[in-house]
Amino acid sequence: MTTSTNLPGRQQVPNLSEVPGSILGRDSAVTKVLLRRSAAARRARYSTIKIWVGAICAGVVVVPVALAQLLPLPDPIIGQLSESSLPPLSAGHLFGTDPNGRDLLSRVLHGGQTSLVIGVLAIFVSGLVGIVAGAAAGYFGGWVDTIVSRLLEAQMSLPLLLMLLLVVALFGPSIPVITLVIAFAQWPEPARITRALVLVEREKPYVAAARVLGLHRISIITRHLIPNILQQVLVVVLLLLAQAVLLESALSFLGAGVQRPYPTWGGIISDGRELFVTGKWWLVTIPGVVIALLVVGVNLVGDGLRDRVRRAKGEES
Amino acid sequence: MPQQPALLPTSDQPTREVSRRSILKFASLAGAGALFAPALAACAGPKTANTASTAGAGAAGGTLSIVLNRNLVSLDNKLNQYDAAVTVQRAVREALTKIGDDLKPELVLAESFEQTKPTEWTVKLRSDIHYSDKSPVTVEDVETALKLYFQVKAGYVASQFPEQPSFKKVDDKTFTLTTKTPVVTLNSLMSNILITPAKDNKAEELSGGLGTGPFVIASADSGTGTYKLTRNESYWGEKAKLQEVNVSYQEEEGARVIAITSGQADVIDTITPESAASLKTNADIDVIETPGTRLIHLFYNFRKPASSPLSKPEVREALTYAIDHDSLIKALMNNQVTSAEGVVPKTLAGFAKTGDYSYDPAKAKQMLAAAGASDLKLTFIWEDSEFAGASRVLEAISQMLAAVGVTATLKMIPKGGEINAWRRGEAGDWDVLANGYGNQTGLALTNLQGQYGGTAEKEKTRDTYHGFVVPEITALLDQAGAEADEAKRNDLLKQAQEKIWALWPAMWAWTPNNVLAKRKRVTTLKLRAINSYDLGSVTVSA
Repeated sequence: MTTSTNLPGRQQVPNLSEVPGSILGRDSAVTKVLLRRSAAARRARYSTIKIWVGAICAGVVVVPVALAQLLPLPDPIIGQLSESSLPPLSAGHLFGTDPNGRDLLSRVLHGGQTSLVIGVLAIFVSGLVGIVAGAAAGYFGGWVDTIVSRLLEAQMSLPLLLMLLLVVALFGPSIPVITLVIAFAQWPEPARITRALVLVEREKPYVAAARVLGLHRISIITRHLIPNILQQVLVVVLLLLAQAVLLESALSFLGAGVQRPYPTWGGIISDGRELFVTGKWWLVTIPGVVIALLVVGVNLVGDGLRDRVRRAKGEES
Repeated sequence: MPQQPALLPTSDQPTREVSRRSILKFASLAGAGALFAPALAACAGPKTANTASTAGAGAAGGTLSIVLNRNLVSLDNKLNQYDAAVTVQRAVREALTKIGDDLKPELVLAESFEQTKPTEWTVKLRSDIHYSDKSPVTVEDVETALKLYFQVKAGYVASQFPEQPSFKKVDDKTFTLTTKTPVVTLNSLMSNILITPAKDNKAEELSGGLGTGPFVIASADSGTGTYKLTRNESYWGEKAKLQEVNVSYQEEEGARVIAITSGQADVIDTITPESAASLKTNADIDVIETPGTRLIHLFYNFRKPASSPLSKPEVREALTYAIDHDSLIKALMNNQVTSAEGVVPKTLAGFAKTGDYSYDPAKAKQMLAAAGASDLKLTFIWEDSEFAGASRVLEAISQMLAAVGVTATLKMIPKGGEINAWRRGEAGDWDVLANGYGNQTGLALTNLQGQYGGTAEKEKTRDTYHGFVVPEITALLDQAGAEADEAKRNDLLKQAQEKIWALWPAMWAWTPNNVLAKRKRVTTLKLRAINSYDLGSVTVSA
């Protein structure tokens, strides 16, 4: 039985089911089950699942890494040779120890701080550079666009890891150098997406209105264009975090990372790889799983957010 | 209440039965599984340890597959003479002498090699020797080879000679080698001069060409370090038992262990203590250990200015007490090394025990404080994979030094030649070098002259061993090198070694055992103290 909605203080809304000829007067063939199983609903559900699973995977890694200084962990650099190569779940060593008797959990968490700090700083720098360069290229066009676009293409044609190794070899491995190198490697991605989005946005009436009102071009970019595209660009930048962590680990693995004895994920895996076949599986497997969890988690969150942003944009239009 | 419309027939309603999407998904998964399963299975790891070696399947006489830990960039040793390479190089090219199992020189291409005067050696070539193409070995070939070893820049072999002997042909098979001062160990030193036809020899490493050895080169790729040797059917001596030897290199220790456990390789050498312990549990593999002649040490930089704390022997001595070598040997070296009891390995002829390294951190602190070096900062350098577990050992040492108030900065130099610039002090400053010093002559004198026989003249071109120039010690070594009487020579060497030890040139030194792993099908492989073996006598079972 259908009823009219008669709320106090509101205009009375007619019950459409009682309007002659209205289809609302009968039950629709599109049932709730069908709606739930529609492609749109499935995508919405998947994006929520992705965000939750991703947040859990990344959180399992990021939270302990962030709290490593507060947790009651042994020193990651100093170990006891008498406790050399203990397997996981040994007394006092949840993840076991390395051949130098250092607690692997402590090394993984402290090493994660290095990797994450480098990753976050790198995406901050690359995001900033990418957004500024991409927005300028998209809005101004002409020679600015030509220069930025050719730079993007030139850099993307270079073999990334080899270029990184070359720069680290030239300037020496340190956190600032590695951060800048990774940031430099990653700026094309946000720059490309920013340029593409700005090209679309600059043709919209609100930008024309701002121009007519006499706003400076820089103000139009910073106060109107970038806030409108930032959400989508940030999703791409977030996805770069996983790539930055992987790049840092790759550099450390190849011996071009932060100098010994400070731990990094790539360095721990590199040290443990020759011992893997001798039965000391935990030296490679545990840091490998941690990297995988973080990368999968961040990618899932980014992917889920991207789906949401797309849907929101679609609904807006 | 409006009339209820007729609902869709039950058959037309969507149900939870298997949909087309599900079928497609399942089919895709099944297809992907069928496609990738064999590849994944192949990547899953080594085959079972019981798998028979594939390397041996082949021609009569059998095939041996050797996987080295470093790239054998040439089949020549002018520049490239690490221990395991010697085995392969000498299978193709031979010298006048060789170092035998008892570390004494034995004749190979020479019929006689005698000291006819204090400064002159007379050598007679065998009459039956010839290259693999049956061309004869001439005295000119020997003369050219000797000359070219000294022409090559930064030659490792030439640096072991106190001076370049002058060559004089006597007849078609006889010649003399004359030196300005007596070199009583010339017959041992000449074991490193490999003979090649004069017309093919160059002042550079040779990856191909002829030799007199029991094997000939069938194919060589110095870039990938892959060589195929086949039996020299016209060998002048006893023919090799093997028909074919395949040599490759794999830097990754884990990959080499997998190669031998899976049967892809028959022999791997210079393996880490951890891998040796693991391989000993494999029923198909034998692990051979012999006492080594290679000394690994944490050598101080003797080019530091006089104002540097490291220029004081008491500071260098104090630092030695900070190293808990017993724990290092037990935890990181699997008891497969011996802490040095002198300045050269005790396996070498002429070794003299001069003392022991001891662990006493309290004494280290006290001595450092007394020398005004309590807050010492040291930079350690080493080349990647210079010795087994180098990074782990140095990280442990940096902890031990931290316990006595010394801050250590660790700098690993990647492979590729840059270490030479560091050693010469051209690439940057450093305090301690972790370095291995091999010995292919079995003589303490070779090590002592190479490391501690520096002169001011040599130091001008940075050709001394990290700036170690003590004229008194150099004079003693020169005297020992010229002394024909073995007892007197050993006495002089003992005096020199005691004087060197008193200067504390190394923070710690040790001699690793030679460790080689072979599959059980490989028989009669005799590993010598110089970490090489005679490939010609190796046999494999079917």
